[in-house]
Amino acid sequence: MIRRSPRSAAAWQRCLSSPRVMAGAAIILILIIVAIAAPWLSPHDPQDQDLLSVLLPPFWMADADPRYPLGTDTLGRCILSRLVYGTRIALYVAGLAASGAMIIGTVLAILAGYFGGKIDWLISRAVDIWMAFPPVVLALILLVGLGAGVNKVILAIVLIDWTRFCRVIRSEVLVTMTLDYIPAARLLGFSHQQIMLKEILPAVTPLIITMLSIEMGIAVIVEAIMSFVGMSVESNVPAWGVMIADARTTMHQAPWSVVFPIGAIFMTVLAFNLLGDGLRRALDGRLVQRNG
Amino acid sequence: MVLQARNLTVSMQVNGEQIDVLRDVSFDLQPGKVLGLVGESGAGKSMIGRVISRNLPKQFAVTNGSLVFEGRDIIHGADTLLASLLGKRIAFVPQEPLTALNPLMTIAQQFGEHLDRNGVAHAHQLEWMINALQEVRLLDPKRVLSSYPFQLSGGMCQRVLIAMAFISQPALVVADEPTTALDVSTQATIVQIIRRLQKDHGTALLFITHDLRLAAHVCDHILVLYAGEVVERGPARAISKDPQHPYTRALQAANPSLDGPLTRLPSLPDNMPGISGFSAIKGCRFGPRCPVGDSICCNAVPQLREIAPGHWVRCSPACQHAEPSTAPLIEHAAIRDNGAVILNATGLSKHYESPRNWLGRRDGPGLHAVRPMDFTVRAGEFVGVVGESGSGKSTLARLLMGLEKPSTGQISLDGRDITDTSQQTTQLRLDTLQMVFQDPQSALNPRRSVEDLVTQVMESHLKAVTPEARRQRAQDLLRETGLSPELIHRYPSQLSGGQKQRVNIARALCVTPRLLIADEIVSGLDVSVQAQILNLLLDLKAQRQIALVFISHDLSVVRYLCSSMVVMRHGKVVEQGPTEQIFSNPQHAYTKALFAAAPPADLDCVWPPEQTSL
Repeated sequence: MIRRSPRSAAAWQRCLSSPRVMAGAAIILILIIVAIAAPWLSPHDPQDQDLLSVLLPPFWMADADPRYPLGTDTLGRCILSRLVYGTRIALYVAGLAASGAMIIGTVLAILAGYFGGKIDWLISRAVDIWMAFPPVVLALILLVGLGAGVNKVILAIVLIDWTRFCRVIRSEVLVTMTLDYIPAARLLGFSHQQIMLKEILPAVTPLIITMLSIEMGIAVIVEAIMSFVGMSVESNVPAWGVMIADARTTMHQAPWSVVFPIGAIFMTVLAFNLLGDGLRRALDGRLVQRNG
Repeated sequence: MVLQARNLTVSMQVNGEQIDVLRDVSFDLQPGKVLGLVGESGAGKSMIGRVISRNLPKQFAVTNGSLVFEGRDIIHGADTLLASLLGKRIAFVPQEPLTALNPLMTIAQQFGEHLDRNGVAHAHQLEWMINALQEVRLLDPKRVLSSYPFQLSGGMCQRVLIAMAFISQPALVVADEPTTALDVSTQATIVQIIRRLQKDHGTALLFITHDLRLAAHVCDHILVLYAGEVVERGPARAISKDPQHPYTRALQAANPSLDGPLTRLPSLPDNMPGISGFSAIKGCRFGPRCPVGDSICCNAVPQLREIAPGHWVRCSPACQHAEPSTAPLIEHAAIRDNGAVILNATGLSKHYESPRNWLGRRDGPGLHAVRPMDFTVRAGEFVGVVGESGSGKSTLARLLMGLEKPSTGQISLDGRDITDTSQQTTQLRLDTLQMVFQDPQSALNPRRSVEDLVTQVMESHLKAVTPEARRQRAQDLLRETGLSPELIHRYPSQLSGGQKQRVNIARALCVTPRLLIADEIVSGLDVSVQAQILNLLLDLKAQRQIALVFISHDLSVVRYLCSSMVVMRHGKVVEQGPTEQIFSNPQHAYTKALFAAAPPADLDCVWPPEQTSL
């Protein structure tokens, strides 16, 4: 039998009764199912070109072809199938990049907040300097150095956005450090590592969860930008940013081929932000909000 | 009649259910008189002040009765009527003087605003302010006026607020725990100033406090509240000389005395029910804790009966006369010279350097938190450390515990040097020395269950402990500290203040230490719960021969527990010796001032004394 502390039980209850959390979680769940079931959901191979039926409109318009529910792009590729497969890339980047940034940021934040002094000074100044670079420029520089590729994009997001976690979580650690249960644990013989893992980490976990959700939304946008400028996935992999880039030239004849991937990005980011915002309210974190 | 309450009832709506948080309160306050509202936290005593200022929390509403100020209904009256009264005819003295003043404005600006509201012309304001501040015995009014609140001490801020409260010649002043947030030595002065102004201006005063002894000295009439109900009402002298209600008696007995023989404090079981628990009690709300109550009280709410002119008690005649059994005497055996020394500190001091500026120079002399001092604790000895905030007593505790590195001096434990704070000395300390922190709210990790909390030390040991052994130990510790072993699955947020403090103590006992260091562990508790904790400490002394360094600002508590004591001020030890000796013949002026600041149990003593100076 799992006993939940009343604090986490109450937080859980607040999450379940929050429309933001539920709406965000529902959309994300659907996206995950779509990503997993992509081969069965998509009517065509996302790379199959049908040059006889290019720029077909979606199903509700005249001249639509029932084989392509959302129409086709300039090369006659099925937009629905590309959209469905694009979900995989988006969620892959969101999950890995946000988790990576979270792990680096949290570890450094707890070290800085717990030990203070010179360690704190070093880490905090590193964060300050890091944050002084415009993130997109930094990302481009990194990608030029690292080379293009979706995993490089993930690495770039981790290297840029760990500071966001570090700064916010460090201040939460500092708040926790003022509570007497930290010196009490020291007097009970806890090692530094034990205090950090057993006393401080649980106290900042609600904040970490909240920030993770918001960071995932940010990662989706960054990946879309990077694949739009061709720095992310290879051109034969369907991603939402690639779709926008491909459709850009024919935007005036076939606006839907841009609208659908933009809509997908919008819904995904909205879902992560709703979830993050709802969690923030439900878990009562003192989150310094930055929207990127 | 300045203020008249008739059957005033304040209720809270919870899930459609109506719970009376203040039930059937009636009183009269005559001009120039002082009415004391006495009760522990949660008794509803502050609720009356909030009714007057229309500042009830959400979900709370007056559901019955009336409250009339100078013939005007202030519950149903228009908001404009209230606005014309507050700050003019009715003034408030708050509990926290520092948060009641705006930190961004000087005293003169805030005082001026208040005078503006009262229609004093700008040309005369300075003169008014200086006069008012002189009345509250602020010696340098000009400097005070040009200061910001944070540049003044808590006591000075409170005097400013008192001066502001009385400037409009109000008919009624509501003082809600005006001395609780201040140091003890200022208590007498503040009370004295309020009393004198109140007498001079013929103002009626509503004095809200948790301290029955203080109320007995300050008030003409007293209203004792328990769980939202008036349990006793009458002349202050009659109530404190001969309390009739079992709760009033318990409240008075729970306060250790400053003189006379020491007897074990009778303590009530449990603690006052919270608001959500009110509806479960059908009869007298004190019934479940009453030492003499019977089934009659537990089934029907007793009515207030007049037992002497103006002296009303809410208790059945049978209960009221049953006397509690006499308490056993406490002997503080003289351990001073024959016990083995556990902890010895010589020349111990702590100096905080002021931070370096950008040139690498230090801006100021820094802070001498503890000046060189010697300190010894023998086996089984209870040592009291008395001092006000900033006296260095908490720093001393942190030095002894190794949470701070001493600037000079040595600390030895059983003859072994533990001055440095390395891993080795930490281990040495761990087996002998434990600390109980002041505020259990902050000292108990809210994410740990009671079982995990009290046996937390077992997690740190490298050798594996079976979950069964841990549970067994947790249950033993809870039993030893007077808690039900069933609480092991609870979390701190589900415990009352007294229970939390017991868990806090139980955790320190897990390693079977021979010396406990307790930093103000009863100051946040209600008197009846304080008595429980003090008795628990005495029991631990008898059972475990444990020694204790007891840090407190409360002399009576130190006298109750400790056989020797240290008085500290500004980081310096001003007096040190056996408790009885210091109590019967204090040498240092500061010690004497501390004694003068505490209201004596004897009502015939004039308190506060006319001149208290520090």
